[in-house]
Amino acid sequence: MIEKGKISATQMGIMMYLTIIATAILLVPAITARQAKQDMWLSPFWASFIGFLTVYIAVQLHQLYPQKNLIEYSEDILGKFLGKAVGLIFLFFYLHVSGIIIREYGEFIVGSFLLHTPLVFVMGTIILVCSFAVRCGLEVIGRLAEMIVPVVIIMILILLILLIPDMEVANMFPIMEKGMMPSLKGAVIPQGWFTEFFLIAFLLPYVADRNKAKKWGMISVVAVMLTLSFVNIAVLFVLGELTAGFIYPAMSAVRYISIAGFLEHIEAIVAALWVAGVFLKIAVFYYALVLGTAQWLNLSDYRPIIFPVGFLLLLFSIWSASNLMELTHFLGSSSPFYRISIQMGIPLILLFIAKWRKRASNSNQGKYQG
Amino acid sequence: MFFLKKVKKKVKKQQEQNQKQQNQNQQQQGFLSNNLDQNLQELQNIYQNCMDVVFRQFQIGGKTKAALIYIDGLANIEETDASVLAPLMKESDVRVNGEQQSIDMGIDVNHILEQKLTVSKIKKVRTITECIEYISGGSPVLLIDKQIEGFALGLSKWEKRSIEEPVGESVIRGPREGFTESLGTNLALLRRKMRSPQLKMKSMKIGEYTQTEVVISYIEGIAEQTLLQEVETRLNRIKVDGILETSYIEEYIEDNPYSPFPQVLNTERPDVVVASLLEGRVAILQDGTPFALIVPVSFYSLLQSTEDYYQRSLISTVTRWLRYLFLLISLLLPSLYVAILTFHQEMIPTTLLVTIAASRELVPFPALVEALIMEIVFEALREAGVRLPKQAGAAVSIVGALVIGQAAVQAGIVSAPLIMVVSLTGIASFTIPRYTAGIALRMLRFPMILLAGTLGLLGIMLGLLMILTHMAALRSFGVPYLSPLAPMQGREMKDVLVRAPWWKLNTRPSLTDNIQRQGPNQKPNPDYGNDKTSKGKGGSL
Repeated sequence: MIEKGKISATQMGIMMYLTIIATAILLVPAITARQAKQDMWLSPFWASFIGFLTVYIAVQLHQLYPQKNLIEYSEDILGKFLGKAVGLIFLFFYLHVSGIIIREYGEFIVGSFLLHTPLVFVMGTIILVCSFAVRCGLEVIGRLAEMIVPVVIIMILILLILLIPDMEVANMFPIMEKGMMPSLKGAVIPQGWFTEFFLIAFLLPYVADRNKAKKWGMISVVAVMLTLSFVNIAVLFVLGELTAGFIYPAMSAVRYISIAGFLEHIEAIVAALWVAGVFLKIAVFYYALVLGTAQWLNLSDYRPIIFPVGFLLLLFSIWSASNLMELTHFLGSSSPFYRISIQMGIPLILLFIAKWRKRASNSNQGKYQG
Repeated sequence: MFFLKKVKKKVKKQQEQNQKQQNQNQQQQGFLSNNLDQNLQELQNIYQNCMDVVFRQFQIGGKTKAALIYIDGLANIEETDASVLAPLMKESDVRVNGEQQSIDMGIDVNHILEQKLTVSKIKKVRTITECIEYISGGSPVLLIDKQIEGFALGLSKWEKRSIEEPVGESVIRGPREGFTESLGTNLALLRRKMRSPQLKMKSMKIGEYTQTEVVISYIEGIAEQTLLQEVETRLNRIKVDGILETSYIEEYIEDNPYSPFPQVLNTERPDVVVASLLEGRVAILQDGTPFALIVPVSFYSLLQSTEDYYQRSLISTVTRWLRYLFLLISLLLPSLYVAILTFHQEMIPTTLLVTIAASRELVPFPALVEALIMEIVFEALREAGVRLPKQAGAAVSIVGALVIGQAAVQAGIVSAPLIMVVSLTGIASFTIPRYTAGIALRMLRFPMILLAGTLGLLGIMLGLLMILTHMAALRSFGVPYLSPLAPMQGREMKDVLVRAPWWKLNTRPSLTDNIQRQGPNQKPNPDYGNDKTSKGKGGSL
């Protein structure tokens, strides 16, 4: 195995939690609000079903091939040629998605804080920092997650508490005015984030306490669901119908915080902490990409390709969209189907074929024995 | 009779020849010969041009030749005179081995050892190398003619510092004794605190020329064997001409020699060493320095002060949190100042912003340059304050107060808020109990200021993430540096986030398998219902 480090199931869960919410917390409220209106807080519940399903598929595949990750077992399932093809699809998908994540980060930083700094520089620095984390291996990324997540959770809680004076509970009513449909429609795009849980397919072989992996995967989904729901509620209470009009509603809501005329404009601090979350998200994607590439090319070590891949990531982040409008349009329209078809569709097919092959080989054995 | 004499002569000749051969053989292997003059000649050759080595030749009871070799200043001369030279030279009834006839075989050594030498510590030495080892170590060596053994007398004594309170780690409550430069004293200090024979001390020598004695100390049954072996292999690897301080060893055994963070704890306090041994760590002591090394350590153990465990738990908890806060301040405050003034002015409350703007009006430099200048000046002052003799120190502090102070502000070179930032950072860095950890963070402050000046809060965050990544990847003797926080060890949190009362700290850190450190139900549980004394006083709680 290329990766010699081991992480605990808890670390995996924590890692995935931050990986999902890092960008979701920023973009999901507005995207959900466009469809679900005042029922936006319900949408994460529906979307999370996809999350549970994804974790289930990943864990099932893992149980069939305990020592291998997606790139490796797809060859076992589909044969050399098709397996490599599926691996290539995944690698390009993660290259593209990581590029988009880095672009989201860059657009946010340049748009909100460093107005005069070139986009490429902002994106380049985060890729550089992430590449150091990836170089240190999975163990270190897991430990980083353990350090960052408590801070992020505490920050979210403090922000929710500080926002209480600006909250208007009436914004929530009427609940389910037009039935379930708006909230279900609102869930279509957030489920794209939940499909990212399929990343655990790359982490599961390195989890030390395997029997707990499924449990922590599920706990992670629940935590993401609750966090998104709470953030949606908070944003809805503060901004009301205006939510859909913002690009980053959660950030805009934070601007409302003003305690005793002293604690104001803390969005820069919030953004700085959010950077820590995105850092981890990019690091996890980057790691999966680099590890997968090394396995796909049958390399013995993934470290030499970290910087070349980082350079590719920078290119893909520039190519992924020409401007922020195009990016949000892509995220709000076709991206959920793109994500679900690759991160859930292909694995589902793999799982069916794997199960079928296993059954076939079992019955064959039965025949010979009989 | 004549015949007998002849035979004796023959026998003697044979014996002499045999012995000569033996001597040659022995000398080739570095053994002492039974000829005193030869031995002395050899030693004198070795100690050529060493005017501090004294060769005192005398005769035992006026018959047998003997010599005492010692280094002036390392041997206890009064003791030697009183309990070695006096009884031996005044010896009148030189008893010989067995019967009269074998007088040439020399005197009865056992008789001397058992009845004459009033010295408690005597070691027999057989080789020249051993002789040199003991002589250089301060023990006088007694060589007697016709004996193939010498005697190293444990009568070393040299000028040493008395046991004092350690300057670097003073406490308000707790033992006040500190290690000295003498290894023997230090080991005795440890042994006095831990009487169990499980406390082991393994000795080894490091340094080709200095031949410095190094002792690995651990508790058998608590310290893991694998850890001990790792320590030994890393120490055995060291091939160097000399070591003068444990910091030499530290740099040879670190996991990551380029990290700014110390991966080995050094302490002058015996109680810290004993506490660490009880946690399953291993201590390395060295002759000639009061600093002992403790491995492995995590970052949190560097943030813990000895006194945390001597104060009441609630107070220690508050102190700890204060320390964590000031740890962040010492690393981040100047960079936050630069970032906020350069990029995020909106975060400052309006009134404060006006004040800062007014005070910065006359300052010609941007915040970044201003902060860098002042921080460098502060570091220079700190360094000067440490190095200068006490008499000049006062002058430096007066001048320093002017440089980083009112005068600098009035001269319009820096702004008043920055003075506050710099001094607060200085204070903060001194709240970290371990000097080496404090200095690491102080040095990291400079890249952080540069990052803050170029990318604002984002830069600070990126810098922090880099530091965090580095720390997460760092290990000290295989133990993750950020443990028990990452990887998380829930059991150990009660000694990291808080300092739980002693009766609750019932487990050792997971460095060891021998985890239980106290019996169950140690919580104080005074039972007032059945207490007769409280009834008498009529008090009920």
